[in-house]
Amino acid sequence: MKVEARSDVALALEVRDLSVELGRRPIVTDVRLDVPTGGWLCVIGPNGAGKTTLVHAIAGLVPRTGSVRLWGRSTDELGRRERARSVALVPQLPAIPESFTVEQYVLLGRTPHLGLLASEGAGDLEAAATALERLDLGWAASRRLDSLSGGELRRAVIARAIAQEAPLLLLDEPTTGLDIAQQLRVLELVDELRRADGLTVVSTMHDLTLAGRFAQRFALLSGGHVVAEGPRGEVLLPHVIAEHYGARVGVIDDGSLGWAVVPLSGPEP
Amino acid sequence: MGRPRRILTAFALALWLAACGSYAGSEEGAPGGGDSPASEAAAFPVTIEGTNGRVTIDERPERIVSLSPTATEDLFATGAGDQVIAVDELSNFPAEAPVTELSGYEPNVEAIAGYEPDLVVFATEPGDLAASLEGLGITALQLDAAPTLRGAFDQIEQLGLATGHVAEADALVAELRVEVNLLVDGSDPSGLSFYYELDDTFYSATSKTFIGQLFELLGLENIADPAGKGSGGYPQLSAEYIIEADPDLIFLADTKCCGQSPETVAERPGWDEIAAVTDGGVVALDDDVASRWGPRVVDLLSQIAAAADAAEEDAA
Amino acid sequence: MSLRTALRGSRARAFVVGVAVLIAALLAGLLIGPVRIGAANVLRWLVSFGRTPSGMSEQEALILAELRLPRVIVAGLVGASLAASGAAYQAVFRNPLADPYLLGAAAGAGLGATIAVGYGPAGAIDVTVPVAAFVGALVGVGLAYGLGRSNVGGRAATSLVLAGVAVASFLTAVQTFLQQQRSDTLRQVYTWILGRLGTTGWDDVWLALPSVVLAVTTLWVVRRLLDVIEVGDVEAQSLGLNVTRLRLVVVLAASLATAAAVAVAGLIGFVGIIVPHTVRLLVGGSYRSVLPLSVLFGASFLIVVDLLARTVVAPAEIPIGVITALVGAPFFVVVLRRNRRAT
Repeated sequence: MKVEARSDVALALEVRDLSVELGRRPIVTDVRLDVPTGGWLCVIGPNGAGKTTLVHAIAGLVPRTGSVRLWGRSTDELGRRERARSVALVPQLPAIPESFTVEQYVLLGRTPHLGLLASEGAGDLEAAATALERLDLGWAASRRLDSLSGGELRRAVIARAIAQEAPLLLLDEPTTGLDIAQQLRVLELVDELRRADGLTVVSTMHDLTLAGRFAQRFALLSGGHVVAEGPRGEVLLPHVIAEHYGARVGVIDDGSLGWAVVPLSGPEP
Repeated sequence: MGRPRRILTAFALALWLAACGSYAGSEEGAPGGGDSPASEAAAFPVTIEGTNGRVTIDERPERIVSLSPTATEDLFATGAGDQVIAVDELSNFPAEAPVTELSGYEPNVEAIAGYEPDLVVFATEPGDLAASLEGLGITALQLDAAPTLRGAFDQIEQLGLATGHVAEADALVAELRVEVNLLVDGSDPSGLSFYYELDDTFYSATSKTFIGQLFELLGLENIADPAGKGSGGYPQLSAEYIIEADPDLIFLADTKCCGQSPETVAERPGWDEIAAVTDGGVVALDDDVASRWGPRVVDLLSQIAAAADAAEEDAA
Repeated sequence: MSLRTALRGSRARAFVVGVAVLIAALLAGLLIGPVRIGAANVLRWLVSFGRTPSGMSEQEALILAELRLPRVIVAGLVGASLAASGAAYQAVFRNPLADPYLLGAAAGAGLGATIAVGYGPAGAIDVTVPVAAFVGALVGVGLAYGLGRSNVGGRAATSLVLAGVAVASFLTAVQTFLQQQRSDTLRQVYTWILGRLGTTGWDDVWLALPSVVLAVTTLWVVRRLLDVIEVGDVEAQSLGLNVTRLRLVVVLAASLATAAAVAVAGLIGFVGIIVPHTVRLLVGGSYRSVLPLSVLFGASFLIVVDLLARTVVAPAEIPIGVITALVGAPFFVVVLRRNRRAT
């Protein structure tokens, strides 16, 4: 039916030797990742590093070599619908069918649970309604998508992914287009779902501060290779960031303010 | 005969009816018509009244190109056949006519000139054919679709004059006139109705048209007449209209172009109850004969008269 | 309650309205025609299952049974096919201008008809043309699909559309060339291209019915999936949809429906765009409603258009393709403006 989170298998997601080529160009090469159940891995890296391609490869949307295992089961063994019930993707640039209502859009998340001739049942409607509530979009259910603001739209996309009820959630730049308050709200919500439902999360983010504050493990992807992997203290270091991003930053870990990455300018000290 | 020709015929007829041309009134006084001397040698030069105005022919033409199937028939019927060196691709009668790939609709002046003609006869003027030919020093004579039977006979006489066969032409016309009169006098269809079919989308012809007049001569009633207002004489009917009108006779002028026959007509939905179909009154005409205005028009008239008589007997 | 309100209420109610409109159109098609037959007589004829009521002549009964009834049915089948195919193509190609002839169906059918008219036996035209058009339409689509098929993520739809354009251009060029060779048949082919139902009878019904029913039912059944593909190939795949297979199924079904429609009625344009878009303006974009309502309104639309075609200049007939364009465009503008004012 779908791959279930298993408590006896420690790793929710196990990626080995994953490589993706488009045309003859290697985009992602020999990626190795481990994500425990209920964990949050954030893939960071400069633009063009291949982050989106990596996420799509994990979701089974682009041809790849190497292996991707969900709780021990290789995704190659899964049928299309089974995989969709196991992995939900929130894309960076979602296509928005303008004339759909928010409810219709979120119900699309139930697609992998429906047979060909089936139509949504009470359980599906409830899953969609719940997802809407959690994303504070209950009021918008009958509104058309093209009447929503950018932030509301992004929440609707996330609601669709939540409605899929998949144990692994992939988020590609989830804070795009959101103001600071909305960014925090979305990330806090994902964190809450992770803690409450045991959701496993893999995200890509460009904002290093937010990434550092919410995710637990990090993989720095640069030029298609994972050049650093581990907890925050091992990856999000000024010299590592300087080497791969080409930017001078400082890292603050202050008691009251918490942890942050601060951009620096001016001559080298 | 292709259907574009019928449309062109319609336009030509509209023009003619409006002008009520000198051509139609020239049956008695055709210049050089009945007055020319019997001797062929002294007959030239002659002046012919063509659709393109007065055309002067200086000497007896020996290399005639005909781009009009009707003119071809007229020429051969008046004995001028051996003066004809080339005819257009649609001039399929008589069999001995020298058919070429020349087109009467899209004439290629160079191709025509290649035959080195001294006279080119044509029916439809695509724009500048006459002018182009005259520019090359070739005499061009246009003889448009005749609006009446008289007009058709006049053309035969004009061509006889143009080719130096006046006597044969006059004799032919006289003979045709006699035949027509015999047919007309011998018929008494007392109000039989008919439907004349031009193509398989139910285009017909009213009594105002050349072909319609033939039927009128024989006293037949044309079901297309009430529908003919404003259609230039060629209205389109519909299956419902025809079934309702229940004609006693059906004449098919689309046997060649569109493959229609009494059998195909009987198979049309709802047509098998029409009087013409149940009484065997569906007549297949030859498309070509029905769209030309040459000597075979009288054959057509005779075929129509025979069908009318047969239907008359059945009804009686 | 306005039509729009009625349709927006619930899907079930919208469906009922659609059926009601269709029945009204069917009745109008039977009652009105070049020959006047009293309405009461027609209704009596219908109710008595075709036995001629006393007030009606045999001819009138014949006209109803052999001409009008099959014609109205074929108009409905053709309208439903074109509207459903248009809506489905707009979904799987995510292109609001997609119409049933997108992948070379029209060009293929036109070429088939030209070959049948120009080179086939003249006496068998009413058999050869529909068959040749049908086969031609399928060949056109097959070529376009074969050439344009691509498994690369988001470009599959565009690639098919481009292949369709190429195939259509090529086949049209061949058709034009052949027509020039046989210019005496130009008029016949042109008449067919403009679309007509003037010689429709029961055998056209039997010819079109199986294909149309099969194809339209298929499209009806997958309508929910058409909603899913609206979010793009990549996202739809992430939701578990087999995008390539859905597109193939839709292309097959729509081509079958279009080929059948074209075989019996020639090339009638505009229906495949106007009807789905108008339905969308009235009920919103979900194909769960758009597809069934396109079927119902498409059928009604074409029945009414055919009615106009055969009565406005009776007994002559205006080619249907001309009327769909003349009637469809202003109608669409009216709906569009009303929608803009309302929201």
